[in-house]
Amino acid sequence: MSCMEWQNRIEAYVDAELPPHEMESFRAHAATCTECASSALALMEAKGALRRAGRRYVASSELRTRVLAATARQTRTTTKESTDAGMLPRKSNVLAWPRWAMAAAALLLFAAGLFFFANRYQRPSSLAEFADLHVATLASANPVEVVSTDRHTVKPWFQGRIPFTFDLPDLQGSPFTLTGGRVAYFHQEPGAHLIFAYQRHFISAFIFRDTPQLAISQSTFSDRGTSFNLQTWTQDGLRYVLVSDLNAATLQQLANLLQHRQ
Amino acid sequence: MPLLDALFNFARWLSHDQSEAEDLVQETFAKGLRGFDSFAPGTDFRAWMFRILRNTFLTSRTGLQAKLTVPLDAEDEAPVAVTWENPETLALASATRDALQAALDELPVVYREVILLCDVEEMKYQEIAEVLSVPIGTVMSRLSRGRKLLRQMLASERGLSAARGKSDQRK
Repeated sequence: MSCMEWQNRIEAYVDAELPPHEMESFRAHAATCTECASSALALMEAKGALRRAGRRYVASSELRTRVLAATARQTRTTTKESTDAGMLPRKSNVLAWPRWAMAAAALLLFAAGLFFFANRYQRPSSLAEFADLHVATLASANPVEVVSTDRHTVKPWFQGRIPFTFDLPDLQGSPFTLTGGRVAYFHQEPGAHLIFAYQRHFISAFIFRDTPQLAISQSTFSDRGTSFNLQTWTQDGLRYVLVSDLNAATLQQLANLLQHRQ
Repeated sequence: MPLLDALFNFARWLSHDQSEAEDLVQETFAKGLRGFDSFAPGTDFRAWMFRILRNTFLTSRTGLQAKLTVPLDAEDEAPVAVTWENPETLALASATRDALQAALDELPVVYREVILLCDVEEMKYQEIAEVLSVPIGTVMSRLSRGRKLLRQMLASERGLSAARGKSDQRK
């Protein structure tokens, strides 16, 4: 295909709408043709700029409530009408469809929602919030409220400050040291924020009661965007989250110590 | 409910009015629910909802006005050959968010909607064709024209402000 012909297909290429073999051959062509390559690049940037500029309005919470209320009202009416219609022979079917339809609608809304959500946000916000807590604490002049390397000082300090208790491992003989702790809040829920040191690095360990808001999975937990590493697990009804600039393997080492404490 | 946000964003861009957009979205959900049995399972639910929204908009007062003021586009015309790597494309790629939004606002509704569906909602041509009830070829030519118009608007905007900057300097 000549350069001229490609120029007319670049828009479809940028929209990822060329047939697969043409997508491939355009890529091959662009590798040798700077003109086509830079056109595609400029168009891609333009598309990205439009996407960002176009996401301008968000539905108000009032509209959200209105739509949900209207949806619920309509579902009730539909169910009632179907019953009143008294189509006895197919009664069970008639009664069943609005519920089936609702379920399908809800599922599809959810699926469509997830699709958008996954596109827009690569990671759950709770993840970013833990990274923020970690950074904000380290930036503070007094990062910890209880300054101690002794687990038997740090653990009792939390008594009466958080609504649960946890065990700390003996770190003797490990490369980690405990520097202290503070109370942290996440979604209005108090929890423990412990700070460990590894050489010159710091690791935040957050311990919270495991609530649905904290339902985050390890698979989403490689935060390349901010280059922090995170580890999370649940144990005895508590959610543990480790945040650090250390590599994942070292973080896993501390996670193991916390999981298999004596 | 992110679909709600996407529909609202689209409605707000089409109607240029907050309360009208809210009414459009509410009506869309009501119609969607009422006509749920006409939705074929396995087909594109998102496109279906956008289509309801758009049809509702077209029969609204603002929609009818928009239709009247839209120039007739020669859709059967073959797309003109273009060289992309030109100042216009770069003007679009590097335009500020505000400038882009202002230009999109001014774009005739036929082009605005197709660009929103493609670049903002990231729909495939096939989905857009379903939403607009037009053939795919029309989607492509409208996209091409709309983007070209947008590029021209932004380039002339930039030309104007550059000229203004120069005359300011001379003073």
